[in-house]
Amino acid sequence: MSAPPDLETWAGEDVHLADVENELGRLRAQMVAEGAPPNLRTSVMTHLAWVSDEWLEPARAALAGMAERHPSRTILLIPDPDSGKNQIDASISLECYALAELERDVCSEVIELRLHGRRAKAPASIVEPLLISDLPVFLRWRGEPTWGSPELQQLIAVVDRLIVDTTEWDGLPYPYKHLAELFESTAVSDIAWARTSRWRALLASLWPDIASVGSIRVKGTAAQAYLLAGWLRSRLDRPDLELEYVEAKRLEGIELDGKSAPFPPGDPPLPSDVLSDELDRFTRDLVYEAAVLAV
Amino acid sequence: MATATEVQQDNPLAEGLLLRRTPDPCALVIFGASGDLTHKKLMPALYALAMRRLLPQRFTIVGVARTEDDDDGFRQDMKEAVEKYGRDEFRQDIWDDLAANMHYVATDFADEGGESRLAELLTRLDEEQQLGGNRVYYLAVPPPAFPTIVEALGKRRSATGWTRLIVEKPFGHDLESAKQLNALLLEHFTESEIFRIDHYLGKETVQNMLVLRFANGIFEPIWNRQFIDHVQITVAESIGIEGRAGYYDAAGAIRDIFQNHLLQLLALTAMEPPIDFTAESVHNEKVKVLKALHTPGPKSVVRGQYGRGFIEGEEVPAYRDEQDVPPDSMTETYVAAKLFVDNWRWADTPFYVRMGKRLARRETTIAIQFKRAPHPPFEETSAEGLRPNVLLVHVQPDEGVSLAIGAKVPGQGMTIRTVHMDFLYGGAFRTAMPEAYERLILDTMLGDGTLFTRADEVEEQWLLVDSIVAAWQRDRPGFPNYAAGTWGPVSADDLLRRDGRSWRRN
Repeated sequence: MSAPPDLETWAGEDVHLADVENELGRLRAQMVAEGAPPNLRTSVMTHLAWVSDEWLEPARAALAGMAERHPSRTILLIPDPDSGKNQIDASISLECYALAELERDVCSEVIELRLHGRRAKAPASIVEPLLISDLPVFLRWRGEPTWGSPELQQLIAVVDRLIVDTTEWDGLPYPYKHLAELFESTAVSDIAWARTSRWRALLASLWPDIASVGSIRVKGTAAQAYLLAGWLRSRLDRPDLELEYVEAKRLEGIELDGKSAPFPPGDPPLPSDVLSDELDRFTRDLVYEAAVLAV
Repeated sequence: MATATEVQQDNPLAEGLLLRRTPDPCALVIFGASGDLTHKKLMPALYALAMRRLLPQRFTIVGVARTEDDDDGFRQDMKEAVEKYGRDEFRQDIWDDLAANMHYVATDFADEGGESRLAELLTRLDEEQQLGGNRVYYLAVPPPAFPTIVEALGKRRSATGWTRLIVEKPFGHDLESAKQLNALLLEHFTESEIFRIDHYLGKETVQNMLVLRFANGIFEPIWNRQFIDHVQITVAESIGIEGRAGYYDAAGAIRDIFQNHLLQLLALTAMEPPIDFTAESVHNEKVKVLKALHTPGPKSVVRGQYGRGFIEGEEVPAYRDEQDVPPDSMTETYVAAKLFVDNWRWADTPFYVRMGKRLARRETTIAIQFKRAPHPPFEETSAEGLRPNVLLVHVQPDEGVSLAIGAKVPGQGMTIRTVHMDFLYGGAFRTAMPEAYERLILDTMLGDGTLFTRADEVEEQWLLVDSIVAAWQRDRPGFPNYAAGTWGPVSADDLLRRDGRSWRRN
């Protein structure tokens, strides 16, 4: 792991977006030592995150491991519609990492915007001026999206990819129907799905014997169980495949027709690695979509 | 029997999973297993592939060398090499998995007994591990050992599975020897089974040259004589010969770098767009460039040899004072040349190339210098700081691409300066780049020869080298003619000055 980043921060209440841009410029200038070459703004994306207060700390933790791998502008939108105010509070941090063998740093920008009152209802108009031109925009929605809400619809319209973690949702599998309705509007990534990839690779290695399997028993989260079953049903064209699942905090084991599948090699990936991998995807994941439709 | 790849293609569960680059089960046999290349490059590359789970599930490594050793000794030696030269943190569990399937055969390969022991071991491993008779043979040995090994392998080919042979450079020392070596290889193996390695082609930034040119719509329309003034390719090393006098004094810079790395970089820069990214299509286009390549005459080639000088503040000896170098050696450690590619796209556009040892710094770059704006409407003095637009591909270090453009200096007047727009790999993709050998070993196991050189490419490269070297037989330059730590002999500057140009300086 490289050295910890240099960090510059600024915070303000009831700000205009122009203040945010100006302060970012000031922080960038401040970061550069006298006479040194300018730091690099090599952003590869804008990363939006819609994070209610209950998800704020886990969201920050995931970001902390990711900023270095994906130089980007990250905009955390924290809705606070019932605060009694009608304003935007902002805090900005500029994280700069030294490039090996170069006297230059590459910087990531993190902008946290707390949207008070009515401001929480028009998020697209807030993020649009802050998007980096011509680069992909990813939206990480923490928790279950507020299906049909104006904020979801608006943000979907400005992003290239929606990233959710269906492990964070209650009442599965029913919310998958709502999610499937978004497939034609935006590409979707699901961190719960990404976490099954080691197991899917393992199950794929059981081909062709696995083609005739009649039931799958999953010890893991509900999301992982439904998605794995949906994946097998759709890929094997076996809508009759039965699912039984045993609740566990993470995917601990799979049985096929009562026989345990071997454990996949390697360690489970870190949360920031999983999110980071999803940020490398740019197209629709048709295999995932089919799995969701078959849960 | 269907290969693993074919089974995967029929597997509906494989879609969307990153399984397609996992090769068939196989045995990798390294000849020269006790050598530097195995320690510094091959074994660290294999460990890195194991770490990323890119090796086949059933995979075995057999080291072959003259050094007396056994399986355990070989494993320990390789473990130390991985710990010392690997790019990843060492993990005992990954190593244990890899080392469990490592074996060693101590033999001089001219010895029939050793040949038989290797064959017996491979047959046993085939049975035990179901390798399907698939073999990759890696010739990490000096060229004089090639014929014995190739003939022995040819005679004892596995009756089942596929066989692939990786041949390290130098691939011959002139056209005639390269032809003989090709003939020998082709007597026992087909062209698609032969993987002539030029590790430069495994570098991410070299492959990025193809992406830069053929995945971006803005460059290709101006990638020709109409818009490009000239091209400069630099392969500069600050190191000396690092104790390799035996090899280097016979090869010199022209055989060590020019014949392979440099001409490959030039071919990738100048080639026409291939119709697809298959090995055959890419090789076909590169061969067309190499066939069209010529130097206008002896005066367009400069050679040099370094004298005493300073590198990073340390005094370093002259080439002739290096250990085991003859004191009157006439071997060149530097070559610069003006080359032309005689085709519609590049007619009359010079490609200036230079390469050498003990130069001012380590740098491999391809600089595309565009023609100046035809009529800048600014006062002459305002544009004094303006240089022509240059698209600079940094192959190493600082991997990336930068474009030099003119920009107005803020203020009341109209002063123009050259600034750089930079794309740095390390800035945009904050992940470690794979070593070239990782990519090339994996490609060999997958049977993908795109990033290797074909027989006719090698022969075209030697044809050009032979024409240059033939002219050198007629004169005897005053060596040494450049000081270590500089950018080469003055005559190399003159080569461009005569054309009203100069080498790039950083």
